[in-house]
Amino acid sequence: MAEQAIAIPEAKVQRRWRLPHDWRSQTAIFITLCTGALFMLLPFWWMFATSLSRKADISMPRTPQLWPPDPGIFNYWIATNNLPIVRLYFNSLVVVGGTTIGYLFFCSLAGYAFAKGRFPGKSFLFIVFLATLFIPFETRMIPLYLFMGQLHLTNTYWALILPFLAGGFGTFLMRQTISSIPDELLEAARIDGASEFRIFVQIILPLCRPTLATLAIINVIWRWNDVLWPLLVTSDSNMFTVTQGLALEGHSQGTYTGVALATAVLAILPVVVAYLFLQRYVIRSVVSSGVKG
Amino acid sequence: MPGSAPSSADSGIFSGFRRAFRGTLVWYGFVLPPLFLILVFIGYPTALAFEQSLFTEIPGGREFAGTYHFERLFQNQVFWGAIGNTVLLGVAFLVIIIPLATIFASMLNRVRRGSTPLKVIYFLPQLTSSVAVAIMFNYVFQPDWGLLNGFLRQLGITNLPLWLADPRYSLTGSRAAVTILAVWAGLGYYIIVTLAGLQSVPTDLYDAAAIDGASPLQSWWYITLPSLRPTFIFLIMTGSIDALARFSDLWTLGGPGGSPARSLQSIVMFMYQQGFESQDFSLSAATAVVFFLIVLLITGAAFWGFLRREFRALR
Repeated sequence: MAEQAIAIPEAKVQRRWRLPHDWRSQTAIFITLCTGALFMLLPFWWMFATSLSRKADISMPRTPQLWPPDPGIFNYWIATNNLPIVRLYFNSLVVVGGTTIGYLFFCSLAGYAFAKGRFPGKSFLFIVFLATLFIPFETRMIPLYLFMGQLHLTNTYWALILPFLAGGFGTFLMRQTISSIPDELLEAARIDGASEFRIFVQIILPLCRPTLATLAIINVIWRWNDVLWPLLVTSDSNMFTVTQGLALEGHSQGTYTGVALATAVLAILPVVVAYLFLQRYVIRSVVSSGVKG
Repeated sequence: MPGSAPSSADSGIFSGFRRAFRGTLVWYGFVLPPLFLILVFIGYPTALAFEQSLFTEIPGGREFAGTYHFERLFQNQVFWGAIGNTVLLGVAFLVIIIPLATIFASMLNRVRRGSTPLKVIYFLPQLTSSVAVAIMFNYVFQPDWGLLNGFLRQLGITNLPLWLADPRYSLTGSRAAVTILAVWAGLGYYIIVTLAGLQSVPTDLYDAAAIDGASPLQSWWYITLPSLRPTFIFLIMTGSIDALARFSDLWTLGGPGGSPARSLQSIVMFMYQQGFESQDFSLSAATAVVFFLIVLLITGAAFWGFLRREFRALR
């Protein structure tokens, strides 16, 4: 990339409304990237357009159409009648909210102790926390499901929330962040007579806000999109999450294309809208933590 | 450091002792609640998986089975099919997506206008649940009127592929279709991570190459790609583990059996089917143990390779 070496004269040329010397390669790259973006968006648009068509439930046109001949919300009406969609949104909200608040709280607690505390067994316990990173969820899912049955928690919010309240990843991330907070700050608070918990709530947590936001975003994506665990522990359709309801409905509505796609649009809409508003933070969170949703 | 080191003046040895002791206890108050959650909901079920794989449930109790369930598992053709599918899909995915993401990230790094909206668009499928993506692609790949075949028909192709309905090993069969799906859905994440790697390459390397008369393509090949090595290792490591754990999209498209003809059954789907549907908990636990060991092997190898290099750089 040779042009980086001569970036300054180039900018001057641009300001005088003359074409930069590499306009050909810039245009070619831009067009290629836009074509790629079009391929990314096309399936979404086609899904949305088809979900508006009542005819799509009977027969689809052999040539894909980017706008239906009969736009309407019929399929959405059917989709919301088939599934207790409001209830599913509420369930997802409870599960995502509960796990996120709990995960942030418990991971910060442990992260604070591992970053600033001094107690026998600290290194050993930290290794225990980190070891959980090497245990994939899939390894323990069936025993965990049986365990939930023994506790009589299947088909409750507890079953969907409790297993995800603490984890090695969040603890590690919080420990790294809290380690960078200067000790003098905490020492000053201690001299003023603040208890460790008060220091944690009033000093540590506010200073960790960016990391907490990162963890929250990642956890929301994880939990909103998870389908494996809800499939195991809930069988009552009143306890389904949105994604789970979509997965099951997508199966049974396979022949009603319009209805199935309308359900899919309803399920992804909140996440997509939130993403469009928060895209900068979402992308930064994913890059800084190296974990995708 | 803090906590146990009283900063205010102390009156005597005993109060200092008490203070130090109390300073220690407080930290257990912080660690124990999350530790309890981890032990109960991560440690205990994992131990249970290992235990269950060694025992057979019989009415009124259970008996030690030794390696019986593992032998049963390794003689199970369906298990090997699932392993084969998982590995094949994972390798195909990584082989396609990493070069593709590198090319797109390099272009995004060079383009002067509009890189932010482009990034947002490429990243969009990553935010969409894999279930919704699978439902969408179920129709995109529909042989008669799907978006893809409709497009191919416009191009004048008459012998249209069956995609998800074709269980054969072919470039237009079900496995190819779900690989296209995964690449489409994952590309944004791989681009963003590669872009972060690209932006951390020191620019003076490029300046030096330009002075030596290297063409942009040459400096891309000899500077950019070698500098991206840690990024590639990271992506291959996390990508392999994700590919091994692949479940939701394949389950949505093919059910627990991975139809058609088990061509889409992954190892986690096999585990789910054996444990949840056939209630064969011992076989499912044995699969879980094998799965755990494979993931551990990959993580260990990648960690070792990665960290060794990092440490060498530190020295």
